[in-house]
Amino acid sequence: MTPSRRHFLMGAAALSTAVATPEMVRAAIAQDIAEPWALATADVEADIAPRAMRLVHGRAPSGLEGVLFRNGPGKFRRSGGSATHWFDGDGLMRSFTLSDRGVSLAARFADTPKRRTETELDAVVTPGFGTPGDSRARLGSNDDGNAANTAVMVTGDKVWALWEGGSPLAMDAATLATESFVTLRPDLKGMPFQAHPRFAPDGTIWNVGTNGDQVIVWHLQASGALIDARALTLPRASYLHDFTATDRHLIFVLQPWVFDHAGMPFSTQFAWKPELGTQVLVVDKADLTRTRLFELPTFSFFHLGDAWAEADGTIRFDIATNVDNTFAVEGARVLVAGRGVVPGEPSVLKLITLHPNGRADLTSSGVTGEFPKGDPRRAGLERSLTVHVAGERGGRPLPNGLAVQDWKTGRSHGFSFGDDQIMEEAVFVPKPGTSAERDAWLVAPSINLAEGVTELHVFDAASVEGGPVATWRADVALPAGFHGAWRG
Amino acid sequence: MIRFAIAAALALCATTALASEPGSSVALTFETGADTGAIMVALYDEATYAGGQPVRAARIDVAAGERTATFEGLPAGDYGVKAFHDVNGNGRMDANPFGMPTEPYAFSNNAVGNMGPAGWDRAHFSVDGATAQTIRIR
Repeated sequence: MTPSRRHFLMGAAALSTAVATPEMVRAAIAQDIAEPWALATADVEADIAPRAMRLVHGRAPSGLEGVLFRNGPGKFRRSGGSATHWFDGDGLMRSFTLSDRGVSLAARFADTPKRRTETELDAVVTPGFGTPGDSRARLGSNDDGNAANTAVMVTGDKVWALWEGGSPLAMDAATLATESFVTLRPDLKGMPFQAHPRFAPDGTIWNVGTNGDQVIVWHLQASGALIDARALTLPRASYLHDFTATDRHLIFVLQPWVFDHAGMPFSTQFAWKPELGTQVLVVDKADLTRTRLFELPTFSFFHLGDAWAEADGTIRFDIATNVDNTFAVEGARVLVAGRGVVPGEPSVLKLITLHPNGRADLTSSGVTGEFPKGDPRRAGLERSLTVHVAGERGGRPLPNGLAVQDWKTGRSHGFSFGDDQIMEEAVFVPKPGTSAERDAWLVAPSINLAEGVTELHVFDAASVEGGPVATWRADVALPAGFHGAWRG
Repeated sequence: MIRFAIAAALALCATTALASEPGSSVALTFETGADTGAIMVALYDEATYAGGQPVRAARIDVAAGERTATFEGLPAGDYGVKAFHDVNGNGRMDANPFGMPTEPYAFSNNAVGNMGPAGWDRAHFSVDGATAQTIRIR
């Protein structure tokens, strides 16, 4: 269906409430009704059956075989009412399968109670992070509102779609068919399992779920089986999207966006109080009562890198910091509206150092960045490199390239596609049989705005400036995803 | 003497039959997830649904294989059902550390609430004569 010019000249409302498939968004961009980046929040109307991606640049590196799973919102708009915030779209689980036969792409929606209700009503009625919802909502439990859209964790032959306020949703890793919400122990049914599990050097998995200043600390086997779950109280009821860990500590960064009052949508519960500064709480994994609290100047954040502890007890980890929560509240709303200037500054990649004497430092890379990822061989251990998306700046709200930050040398090694591409998070894939940190590939998709399709790129972690060593192109455009996981 | 007693008994029956006996009933069948414990079922009318004493209540012994509760002798009208499945048999609806129920609960019409129990507007149904409903409680 080719939308008429008159239809789109009905104004900004056309994109915010009408179905906006990638084709319609591209037409709207061509007619100057939508911003060039609007494809990042287009709607997908149906599952994407597996299809081959076409090699359009370079050569597939020998030995690179595995699956990149990624999760992110895939549908926002329905005729009776729409999601109005980037974090509230229906989870669309993607898989990019790399083998000696090439690359294939598949994507399936998480079959959640929320999606079933909203499909039946043809309206987004469920309150979410920023979407208010309405009286037609059917919310008997937190998992009734679970969008299963933020991240993915690979366990055995399943992938768990992770969200922030509810249970993981188990999906079949081969078919991406939805199975059921995961209950790790009957008395803990429905306890939140957030989107950033941390993988320890001993092979186990740590994660958290929060409710005000209360935290549940999950400790799992690699298989996903529960080892234990313990309670922790934080000194501050901050909004917490991510936490990090060394081999023996859990680390909570406590920004001054703090719980103020109950209500929905979720983001309205928090008040920004910059006068409080930002704190960092370090907790011993072996004894959650052993804690240390550090003070830093005020900043906001979503994402942290893996942390490490040095021989003298110094702890370091990187973080994408921002000046306040403007993007979280307003910027992410404008991204779904598809028009206008996205308010808020780009985040900046920084390194937090926690000294044994109780002092904390914040060192800037000097580079804007988000979605930091490190070498999985070194998760929780000392490391130098962080890959992150880059190129975001005023007037261009989404990244257009990647960079590798070397914290040992202080240098950034970056590549920019230019504004015809929207870059997504990269994962570090160690080269088989190697151990050096630089012996890895970086695998990341992008949205090629000029071609109007999704692409997958492989970079060499040792030479990002050279650009991708291989690029494959799909015949469909998927909206931007959030977080992924590699299964080798 | 016996004839008098029988006559008196018949007279009593006649009197009882004339005092209008409500003739409606509702048979509730539950589809459970677990097969242990018991389902506590409460039947309310409009006046009591939001917070009064139920007009009828029952305990379904799921572990013994029961899945239904039938309430008879009801005046025809609108009713609502609230039920929870005490899977571990401790007599309580258990909750997780953040206060969310961990045992299944359900309402008539398989109604779901909006951040709370299903309200009368979603749960009420009409009972007139012999009525039946199947409720999922998983």
